Amino acid sequence: MYRYDEFDHAFVSARVEQFKDQVERRLAGELTEDQFRPLRLMNGVYLQLHAYMLRVAIPYGTLSSRQMRKLAHIARHYDRGYGHFTTRQNLQYNWPALKDMPKVLDELASVEMHALQTSGNCIRNVTADHFAGAAADEVADPRPYAEILRQWSSMHPEFSYLPRKFKIAVTGAERDRAAIQVHDIGLHLKKNDAGELGFAVYVGGGQGRTPMVAKKIRDFLPVEDLLSYTTAIMRVYNLNGRRDNKYKARIKILVHETGTEELTRQVEAEWQVLKETDLKLPQKDVDAIDSYFAPPSLPVRPEGWSGLAAARKADHSFSTWVDQNVTPHKNPDYGVVTISLKPIGGIPGDATDAQMDLVADIAEKFSQDEIRVSHEQNLVLPHVAIADLRIVYDLLLTDGLATANAGLITDIIACPGLDYCALANARSIPVAQRISERFGKPERQADIGELKIKISGCINACGHHHVGHIGILGVEKKGEELYQISLGGSGDEICTIGDITGRGFSSEEIVDAVETIVDRYLDIRTDKEENFLATYRRVGAAPFKDALYSEAANAA
Amino acid sequence: MSDISEKPAGELWGREGFREDPYIAAATLDEAGDAPAVILPLAVWLGLEDDVRNATNRKIGVSVAPGESIDPLLPLLDTIPVIALQFPAFNDGRSYSKAEMLKSQHQFKGELRAVGDVLIDQVAYMLRTGFDTLKVTHAVTLTRLADHNLHDTPVYYQPGRGSHSAPGTYSWRRVPGA
Repeated sequence: MYRYDEFDHAFVSARVEQFKDQVERRLAGELTEDQFRPLRLMNGVYLQLHAYMLRVAIPYGTLSSRQMRKLAHIARHYDRGYGHFTTRQNLQYNWPALKDMPKVLDELASVEMHALQTSGNCIRNVTADHFAGAAADEVADPRPYAEILRQWSSMHPEFSYLPRKFKIAVTGAERDRAAIQVHDIGLHLKKNDAGELGFAVYVGGGQGRTPMVAKKIRDFLPVEDLLSYTTAIMRVYNLNGRRDNKYKARIKILVHETGTEELTRQVEAEWQVLKETDLKLPQKDVDAIDSYFAPPSLPVRPEGWSGLAAARKADHSFSTWVDQNVTPHKNPDYGVVTISLKPIGGIPGDATDAQMDLVADIAEKFSQDEIRVSHEQNLVLPHVAIADLRIVYDLLLTDGLATANAGLITDIIACPGLDYCALANARSIPVAQRISERFGKPERQADIGELKIKISGCINACGHHHVGHIGILGVEKKGEELYQISLGGSGDEICTIGDITGRGFSSEEIVDAVETIVDRYLDIRTDKEENFLATYRRVGAAPFKDALYSEAANAA
Repeated sequence: MSDISEKPAGELWGREGFREDPYIAAATLDEAGDAPAVILPLAVWLGLEDDVRNATNRKIGVSVAPGESIDPLLPLLDTIPVIALQFPAFNDGRSYSKAEMLKSQHQFKGELRAVGDVLIDQVAYMLRTGFDTLKVTHAVTLTRLADHNLHDTPVYYQPGRGSHSAPGTYSWRRVPGA
């Protein structure tokens, strides 16, 4: 893991001091809320429906046990005993008092964390594959590059007042678990024919009210050019991105209106000027950052395999959990464990202080002191020996953390919605909870197989509904909450935006509507191997629309 | 810098402190009367005859709005004593990129000035992207500048003006100082 050096410490503590000063000026009335707003947003402090909310950055979703314990401590002492993991691999506290914010930031700084750039029209927390450094299918670990980008984008003097927020994601495997094609910049780390590392560069993806899949503007960018090329993209965007309408201000609109070819030409032209400047990355610096992410030296544990078979045979629930929540590791004696934060009927992404402490303890003993937050709002133990799976499972079971549903229909992404968010039009969490309860039986979920449901409570799409296999968007119509369904979205390497089925459904109807879709899928799939998305891609929307609207018509 | 004084009404600020602003802003050259130093809007400045623009008895600078391109100025940079880049609202960041390009790519040697909604929390960014002077009206900003409280960080993660490489650390990092 990356560790702060003196330079980083000096930077973060100075920022905390500045924010203390700003909070004091606000509390003293020297700053109006309007003047304070951009300053607090730079520090991750939002004003929600009921209270201020603090969004803590978890760079590329990687945490140590010590950091997780600190997050638990803050939840316990400054909030109501829980935190909410977000689709940006961050953590949100919903109830801290403004006067406590500087203290919370001090606490975070003591474990090398901060809340910088988790808001505002700047470059936000850089995300990466949550299985980075562990997944068997990875070409190289994307996190060193995410870390270089994190540093370079921190309080960037030229790019802190962009037309709109800006999100960068990096992945190091063909299988895209970081949804890079729905980011402002998506970087796919790969090797060229000569075996050198570089990036395929995607620009202009995003969700919100105008969802778009990113365009690839460069197939191979050498690693040394990462910062100069990113600067070129940012500069073209900063100068030319629209500022007349916040809904048209993201880079996806600029790419769309300018045309990919012309935008690429502008970026490449700017890059020619920047390429040989101080932004060129020396290999020794890349190597130095890379060394922080060196793979842990994992002891040989071949005994796991024989033990696992027996343990699986003895306990069906454990066996199901291994099938569903354990992913292959680079080292065959190890597995990558997904800890579901989606208990049946629970709030997606929420974790209590006790759960965070438990995960920290388990990670310290059984996962090389490392934890990841996934953009799917789950936690990940990246390096668990197969031989330790049983004990890890038993420990997770003690506090409701062993739900065997990773990737299944109840592993739902949902934004905070109208229960917390000042922007929302409709509630998301209760819909997620009811869907989870409806499909919660293990046999039923297993039969349905891989199916990603994503729910947003407004058009801003924080719940990523556009890339849900089944997406649900809450809207407000004549004072009532109404839910629109889209089908066939996907945020992976074959990225697609879901198709809206037709008229929306009331809060009472929406769970039945989802069930109607699922039942139709089960009827028409070729066999169990053909998952929902594959079936949808084969047959299109018609059979599902037919089921939804003819049945609704019959019932009326 | 003979004009440095406590805090004159000019409210023009640079790294050395407040100083009197020799320039007046005017919509046209006529409006400027016989002022010895004037800043004109880009369109007006571009419309001047070469001999007027290059006259030695008065200085004529140019003001550029965020939506205006700096491209027409590029062939003439040697003749421009001051370019004022506007910040009509604090959250319009286009002028930062223009400052960076004028100083780094086009080696503009004249005075680069930030004009408009200049807040204290942006001053460090402005200096680092290449602004030499700031025309400040915001009361809190004036007070803080007078106290030399720039809201700066002790270290930077990017190359920029007024900083140098930090020995023994990564290529993109900088510490303050010439």
